[in-house]
Amino acid sequence: MQIEQLSVAELVEHIGKGDLSAAQCTEHFLGQIRDKNDDNGAFLAQCDQEAADAAKQIDASIAAGKSLGPLAGLPVAVKDGICTAGVTTTAGSKMLSKFVPPYDATIVSRLKDAGAIVIGKTNMDEFAMGSSNENSAFHPAKNPWNHDHVPGGSSGGSATAVAARMAPVAIGSDTGGSIRQPASFCGITGLKPTYGRVSRYGLIAFASSLDQIGPMTRSAEDCALVMQTLAGHDKKDSTSAPVDVADYMAALNKPLAGLKIGICKQHFEEGLGDEVRAKVNEAIDVLKSLGASTAEIELPYTQYGIAAYYVIAPCEASSNLSRFDGVRYTNRAAAEGLEEMYSKTRAEFFGEEVKKRILLGTHALSSGYYDAYYLKASKVRRMIKNDYDKAFESVDLILGPTVPTTAFKFNQHAADPLAMYLADVYTVAANLSGVPALSIPCGFDSAGLPIGLQLQARRFDEATLLQTAHQYQTQTDWHQRSPQS
Amino acid sequence: MSNLAQNVAKLARIDLPDAKAEAVQENLEKVLNYVQQLEAVELPDDIEPFFGAIESVNAIRVDELQPSYPREEILSNAPDSDGQFYKVPSVFDE
Repeated sequence: MQIEQLSVAELVEHIGKGDLSAAQCTEHFLGQIRDKNDDNGAFLAQCDQEAADAAKQIDASIAAGKSLGPLAGLPVAVKDGICTAGVTTTAGSKMLSKFVPPYDATIVSRLKDAGAIVIGKTNMDEFAMGSSNENSAFHPAKNPWNHDHVPGGSSGGSATAVAARMAPVAIGSDTGGSIRQPASFCGITGLKPTYGRVSRYGLIAFASSLDQIGPMTRSAEDCALVMQTLAGHDKKDSTSAPVDVADYMAALNKPLAGLKIGICKQHFEEGLGDEVRAKVNEAIDVLKSLGASTAEIELPYTQYGIAAYYVIAPCEASSNLSRFDGVRYTNRAAAEGLEEMYSKTRAEFFGEEVKKRILLGTHALSSGYYDAYYLKASKVRRMIKNDYDKAFESVDLILGPTVPTTAFKFNQHAADPLAMYLADVYTVAANLSGVPALSIPCGFDSAGLPIGLQLQARRFDEATLLQTAHQYQTQTDWHQRSPQS
Repeated sequence: MSNLAQNVAKLARIDLPDAKAEAVQENLEKVLNYVQQLEAVELPDDIEPFFGAIESVNAIRVDELQPSYPREEILSNAPDSDGQFYKVPSVFDE
């Protein structure tokens, strides 16, 4: 049995039947991490002891014939911006290099309650600010399809871990594309749920009105199984929605006949790579052959998405990150007085991109600038949301490329950070409007790098996203391809 | 806008040495110039801003006493404490 190639359902089934012990399964994936992490840097920490202990407990429950959770024995990697009790959680920042949270994030508790086993913490751009993993304060993760290329970001370590078969499932977070863009670059399936669908309690906040936690897996079926555990209201997060959770697994096998897919011309204009365009068009044909129909739609205000995002996200970040002041969280710079302690600590332990965004947000919110920046951006945000509401009156899904290109090389955008920001041009609007969106692999370019297809749906309609992605994956095998390294 | 970087760094409590100010300023201006395009976007007069993806009413709950996290666990993450409180450098000059 090639353990690392098994699906989530298969792993859980084998463990439940006893032909694979949770301990063996856990040790197998921990071994994969030991073998590969020096080369690809996907993980910042490995939870050997905690994982072995948890696996032992699962195996004891199985031996005793106790009833098991839906994910019993499943190894899961968790992005390092999500709190894990007793396990160092850095958010990719030197500021938190020694931070050990006293509690689990709600999604970590939910995963553990379902029987899943946390095997490690994955690499990320510092405080989730970045699209390449180059902003990790420790070392960048590398794209498993080609180590000269970035895995994307900010959940780049999570994407690398799943693509390189170091974990069957990884959890990411997505503020402007941070699950979907690395999923696209690494050839895996990644879901950003509806804002409010998954609790953010214990997620180290970047931009609170945009952040969502979601699963990153090889297939849509795996994604549905994990999403079933993640989704739901949490009294510890007042922005989590008291909305019933659909049966995602039951939705997967429904036929696509009658499904209306909206295509936005804007997503296929200047800036889109030819190979990406060709593969996305092929995917449309596959979905049509399954009974879906397409219609042209317009999202005119999404062209201002990146501009609105680079006002709103830094504003929220400048407020959220004010808590890192040298008083409560592990690191403090030497200084004479209190004021100097704040400013030296923040200068020394924040990375350059994080400082830049804090400064941008501080400027945009400062007296005299609020109306021109934050208020105007928030009004544009309303127009973007209205665009989506209108589009979803006539279609069930919106389909397009996830990213205009395949994974770029390390340092490629060093001279022009704005070019890197544009990697999120198709993904930010889902965060601004709150709709769920998913990326699945739909082919490879001539250099052998994966191409991603993005689907977006009405709020709280993750079921249709997962159903469509699964039906597509019954006809294609892009999601089953493995990188060499 | 020539002192923008230094002024904002002061507001944000991030020490910015003179030698680095110019480069930081240049970087900020690049992004600010890009987001400036929002200024020209025409909007309906009565458009309300959208601040959050969920426009829910207040989430309220019963006010029940619940245990918090142990003080020593919270303080174990602090750079400096006396076991009861966080310790910081002196606030006023002596």
